[in-house]
Amino acid sequence: MNPLEPDQQALKTEIADLEQRLQNARQRLNPPHAANGSTPPIPNPPLPVPDPTAVSTLHTLLLLADSALPLGSFAFSSGLESFLAHHPATSVNGSSKPQFQSQSQPQSSLLSTFLPLSLSTLASTSLPYVLAAYREPDRLLELDNDFDASTPCTVARRASTTQGRALLAVWERSFRGHYSGEHITDSTTATASPFPTSPEGQREENDNDNTALKALKTYQSHLHLHPTSLSPSPFTPTPCTHYAPLYGLLCHLLRLPAHTTAYLFLFSHARTVVSAAVRASVLGPYQAQAVLAGAELRERIEGLVWEWEGRGTEEAGQTVPVVDLWVGRHEKLYSRIFNS
Amino acid sequence: MSNPFAGSSSKPGFGKIILSVLPPDKPVLETVSYQYPLKLIAPSPIIVSPRHSRSSGSTLEDKEAGDHSSPDNQQRSYLVHTVYLLTYGGGLVAGDAINLTTTLARSTRLILLTQGSTKIFKSPDPSVISKQFMNATLLPGSALCYLPDPVQPFGKSAFEQTQVYGLVDWRGQNSGGEPSLCVLDWVNQGRSALGEKWDFWRYGSKNEVYLLPNASEERQSEARKKRLLLRDALLLHPSATLPSLFSERMDNLSIFGTLILCGPVFTALGDHFLAEFEALPRIGGRNWDSDAVSAPRTTPLTPEEQAEIRKLKRQKQEKVDGLLWTAARVRNFVLVKFGAKETEGAKRWLSDMIKEEGSVEREFGERATLCLR
Repeated sequence: MNPLEPDQQALKTEIADLEQRLQNARQRLNPPHAANGSTPPIPNPPLPVPDPTAVSTLHTLLLLADSALPLGSFAFSSGLESFLAHHPATSVNGSSKPQFQSQSQPQSSLLSTFLPLSLSTLASTSLPYVLAAYREPDRLLELDNDFDASTPCTVARRASTTQGRALLAVWERSFRGHYSGEHITDSTTATASPFPTSPEGQREENDNDNTALKALKTYQSHLHLHPTSLSPSPFTPTPCTHYAPLYGLLCHLLRLPAHTTAYLFLFSHARTVVSAAVRASVLGPYQAQAVLAGAELRERIEGLVWEWEGRGTEEAGQTVPVVDLWVGRHEKLYSRIFNS
Repeated sequence: MSNPFAGSSSKPGFGKIILSVLPPDKPVLETVSYQYPLKLIAPSPIIVSPRHSRSSGSTLEDKEAGDHSSPDNQQRSYLVHTVYLLTYGGGLVAGDAINLTTTLARSTRLILLTQGSTKIFKSPDPSVISKQFMNATLLPGSALCYLPDPVQPFGKSAFEQTQVYGLVDWRGQNSGGEPSLCVLDWVNQGRSALGEKWDFWRYGSKNEVYLLPNASEERQSEARKKRLLLRDALLLHPSATLPSLFSERMDNLSIFGTLILCGPVFTALGDHFLAEFEALPRIGGRNWDSDAVSAPRTTPLTPEEQAEIRKLKRQKQEKVDGLLWTAARVRNFVLVKFGAKETEGAKRWLSDMIKEEGSVEREFGERATLCLR
């Protein structure tokens, strides 16, 4: 018996298998009736190989997922620091011990309590605004106003407006030249765009982009006229540069799909909170990565996106009221390393 | 003017309160109508004269005896009307719907009260939701004080309420100025005595304040649209992404509330909350002066010292009651949020804060703070 024979047989099977998979992949890439088939969501029409949209979407996604964005987000803990101060590791006695935390559990359990509550709060209060601005960019000023009206405390407001301003600056100074220029000029000659699209979809998309760009321009000119103040007049809509609506609009301009936008928004928050937890010595850097990689977080974010993506801003609200107390009382902490 | 005794729209749960002004300047309850299960009771109005009496008002008869001719136009006494919002059985049963519309004419003052906590009774099914909708329109210069008892949702109840307050644009001469609003929205965990701990199916409460365009001065040039000034929504709804028990979202609190203040009548109260919040001891800091024993004194305490003592006493009580609170200026509002381990603790604290500052009782009479007793 030649000992090589079974191996060769295995190799042959493997080759056949690989060929089959290659063929499948090709078929999936070029479905027979791509143009007439079910139309996918607008920002991502199916394109022939290589798919530049997919590549640029991936590129944009990586850009936005950078932990450096929004610039300065490392300064905010979204209430984590205050939560920790309200649940000190050494509890005085049984009666005043918060139920969330028991002595036997390690410190990292504090994060596993806080993170779901914080994510849920963000999804219920902010995600509807992200998606509303994404879907209807021309409502930006109104959404910004309504979000401001719904922000219950100074600390949260400061965190939101600071990061919104930073996001606007990143767009203005870094992204705008690369993502917008060609679209505003002429919709028919926009060949140099980083997003080559099929001709029939192009005009519509450009109109879409124009709306978004115009909305942003109007917003910025308002911003120029009325620099943001702490207590704006109730009569004139003043831009407050809140993070959530600006984030939605930016993702629209960068042509991320809506679902990705929502997921990324929540994921970035989780990452910011987890990284704040590392700096607050609640958990180690490896544990932090484990939390981020965990299926639990993934399922939670998916679940929250699913739960909130269909709801309008008038349905937004606080699902975990005590988070408002923690965030609001951050100002009263004896020592602080974060701004929120 | 419509007849106050006319049969109102016969929809169940509908109610209407119109507080208007009889020339020259007498506020009257023009309409108080209601349908089962809602019941409105309007006791006779009280007279309040902020300058002379610090506390309560007197009756209407006293007014006619002569207080009326006060020389000081700004500070002279005025009538404050009160309406009790009641429901048969002291609460709402499954599927009840209340829909109350209130209008306050220029420069009028209204107290809305409840009598005991609003109980939300058990619902046979999570989808049968009791609802309460309240819409109040405040014309320039008017003031509404709505300090109800807390809502008490029983186990397996389902309740959603929305309060919409419309402030009519107060720009322009002789408008009367910004309307004033003092509204409280609080909910507790249910029947603690029966061991209920946030055991309802769902609870939601939303407060919205809008700026309404002035109907009489329609300016076509501007886009006249109502504008959202404040929105505060609490959503305790079942969710797949949160722990299934609501109590796990509440961090051992058994009552949670929001107080919204705006307008000139409540400026002082708002400032009081903000100042007291600013003066809270730092969390996690060492309390150096906690056990300082002051030497016995013979001289009487100054008012400032008395206030300081009250403050320290309250802060001690806050610790005992597990009371957590924040106050923030949000646009032209002061928004106060608080939670406590027991309903009584929250009541004690709120009553202390409001009575110490005193302007609510000064401007509306003692009746306005009935629910804080």
